[in-house]
Amino acid sequence: METYRIENVSFTFPEKEKKALADINLTIKSGEFITICGKSGCGKSTLLRQLKAILTPHGKRSGHIYFSGQLMEEVDQRTQASEIGFVLQNPDNQIVTDKVWHELAFGLESLGCDTATIRLRVAEMASFFGIHTWFRKNVSELSGGQKQLLNLASIMAMHPSVLILDEPTSQLDPIAASDFLETVKKINRELGTTIIMTEHRLEEIVPITDRLIVMDEGEIIAEGTPEQVGTALGRMKHPMFLSMPTPMQIYAGVSNSLPCPVTVKEGRQWLNTYLSGKTAASMEEVSEGSTAVVSSAAAAAISFKDVWFKHEKNGADIIKDLTFKVKEGQFYCLVGGNGTGKTTTLSLMSGIVQPYRGKVLIGGKNPAKMNVQELFINHVGILPQNPQTLFVKKTVRLDLEEMLSQSTMSKEDKARKIADIVAFAELAHLLDMHPYDLSGGEQQRAALAKVLLLEPRILLLDEPTKGLDGFFKEKLAQFLQKLNANGVTIVMVSHDVEFCAKYGEICSMFFDGSIITTNTASKFFAGNSFYTTAANRMARHIWRDGVTIEDVIERCQRSL
Amino acid sequence: MQDRFSSFHPIVNFTYFAAVLLFGMLFMHPILQAVSLASALVYSIMLNGKKAVTFNLLYMLPLLLITAVLNPVFNHAGVTILFYLHNGNPITLESIVYGVSAACMFVTVIIWFSCYNAVMTSDKFIYLFGKIMPALSLIFSMVLRFVPRYIAQLKVISNAQKCIGRDVSQGTILVRARNGMTILSIMTTWALENAIETADSMKSRGYGLPGRTSFSLIRFDTRDKTIFLIMLGLIAIIVTGAALGENTMRFFPSMKVPDRSPLSFIVYLAYLGLCLLPVIINAVEEIKWKRIASRM
Repeated sequence: METYRIENVSFTFPEKEKKALADINLTIKSGEFITICGKSGCGKSTLLRQLKAILTPHGKRSGHIYFSGQLMEEVDQRTQASEIGFVLQNPDNQIVTDKVWHELAFGLESLGCDTATIRLRVAEMASFFGIHTWFRKNVSELSGGQKQLLNLASIMAMHPSVLILDEPTSQLDPIAASDFLETVKKINRELGTTIIMTEHRLEEIVPITDRLIVMDEGEIIAEGTPEQVGTALGRMKHPMFLSMPTPMQIYAGVSNSLPCPVTVKEGRQWLNTYLSGKTAASMEEVSEGSTAVVSSAAAAAISFKDVWFKHEKNGADIIKDLTFKVKEGQFYCLVGGNGTGKTTTLSLMSGIVQPYRGKVLIGGKNPAKMNVQELFINHVGILPQNPQTLFVKKTVRLDLEEMLSQSTMSKEDKARKIADIVAFAELAHLLDMHPYDLSGGEQQRAALAKVLLLEPRILLLDEPTKGLDGFFKEKLAQFLQKLNANGVTIVMVSHDVEFCAKYGEICSMFFDGSIITTNTASKFFAGNSFYTTAANRMARHIWRDGVTIEDVIERCQRSL
Repeated sequence: MQDRFSSFHPIVNFTYFAAVLLFGMLFMHPILQAVSLASALVYSIMLNGKKAVTFNLLYMLPLLLITAVLNPVFNHAGVTILFYLHNGNPITLESIVYGVSAACMFVTVIIWFSCYNAVMTSDKFIYLFGKIMPALSLIFSMVLRFVPRYIAQLKVISNAQKCIGRDVSQGTILVRARNGMTILSIMTTWALENAIETADSMKSRGYGLPGRTSFSLIRFDTRDKTIFLIMLGLIAIIVTGAALGENTMRFFPSMKVPDRSPLSFIVYLAYLGLCLLPVIINAVEEIKWKRIASRM
């Protein structure tokens, strides 16, 4: 039985020439797990929204969509609401009511179910999702991961036959994201619900996907099992290939005729088979948990000395006995789990909060005692986690101009400076758009441009890769490297291990309010066993120092 | 200790408080007043513990005394003159007693309200009014969701602006005012932008379909029914007493308490029963629990 049949569907937004979707043909069988991927703006969200008429944006559409054999336009509202579940990107925006139990019941109330039915369904869903322990809580007390799980559960309570998810994990940290994906997998496996989701965290989703669909410029460019798609993309040399799971990328980089691995486990087995009969390339010596501090002659840009911090007088310590130094010109990454104090450390650097013991020095001075001009002009720049919080004007251009409104520069100087920044951040084609209309990656770049107008010598970044796809991450990395090359010190807080391994210079592991170990990026990840990149986990039994995909490919090629 | 009366259906809680508050304000009979004040005191201490004791001693007792003293100074009606003030105004027994009585009533009502606050939490209130107007209950619920969320977001925005030197706490007064306006404007844009997604989420879950029901975890069970009926019975007796003029007294020009009859005792008992209802429920549950626990 088929859930959806999409025939020759094209879609154009009002007042746009270009088709957002072009001649899409797709059949989705009941119970299938489908993942759609592609660069931001490739039309995948637009496609998903065609699958539920009530969420379809305005525009011109041609072609037909059938839901369970019935034309989409003819499916009545009630059936659509209950049969087609739709989970959106932002966990917070989807929650309507103040209590967990009320949120779970919301959809069923709309459908007009009686109290006994709602009671049963809510109870069932709460047990299935493990929500019963926080069933009576206020939604404001939940973590991001719990909120997204609640959104999923409140939709599943309506017993939909198909579940559509639009980048559901992009706002979650890696642990919460894999929990969430695990639950989606469970729904597919145990309830037989059809799953259609878009995602750019492909590493975890690809192994459980039945069919992977890659879109570009509104068209489907590859379709099939993950292995087939991986091979096809590799052959096309398509940029989306960089988003494929690490084992597939390594596999494609090494000439061999073995079957394509998808998971780390398969990757290890593949590597063993590949290397049997060959001599593995030699590796450099790495000592376990080595904390050899990288010595360099540069002066310290930021130094923390025995810093302790807590939010409330009787509260728990958030930062405990933290001592570290960031040298001028370094690209410093702080990695570690949620709630270990990484973001608080950034707040301490920017002087928003002050330690109750110990010293924080920025360029030899206490940031909390410096005045605003001294601290933020030509000195410290901060890119907040949510770039939207920086935008204040109607267009990107006005927003950039606003940034310099308080400076005493001449008009020409200002214009030149803005032009420079626009060229640097590649914003020229976006200047007249509303900042909120930009995609996640573009917003990040515009916000970065705003901060860079103050010409910071030290740049603090809080989770800059959150919600970005592989392509935009690459771009962001190039900007950061360019800045770094110009002598800007960069401190980055991130969950994104792969990103830090590839581009970071020094990495520190944060745990329980303090730094556990610090080392150069490659040595740092080679020294960890679990908290490391997928490439390293795949190859560390042979090459402990193979941290990035390129490292492993290069070593494979050297092995004869 | 945990209050068991709070676990009853909101309509039971609400009716109880409506009754004791109204009766407390209307009935000036000294016995009924004493009953109400004593019950309110006991229940408030039961609910709020030490905090209620300090509240009653620190604020209610002085309030009681001041109101009691102030009345005779300004009110000179009554026939029993005790003495004259320097300016020639008489102080009468009736006005002193009336002052004490009014002060008692005032304090009793305040203490009942402190109990009301502890028992009738916002979600119970919403539930009650949601029954009358279902749309209103959803709005209440959404307000309770979005107000804290907006406050949190305002803080995030303020911190982000602080990092580019544009917060309300930075710069001259004029700059601060401008920064404040900017932050509010970002906040508005953010709220509107995100509300679109909330609307999508509501539509997608069928909001707007005809025949919406209202779900709640609260159920009106047998226990609620029993207590509710007992309460209505007691209220009926008290109201009958009020209709017969048993529940109040005359202060001016001379004091007169209605004659006591067997019926008046029934009314006093009914009032005692009503006011002490939560205390009795708590006590019974406590004894029951102790007996069960001792057998385990």
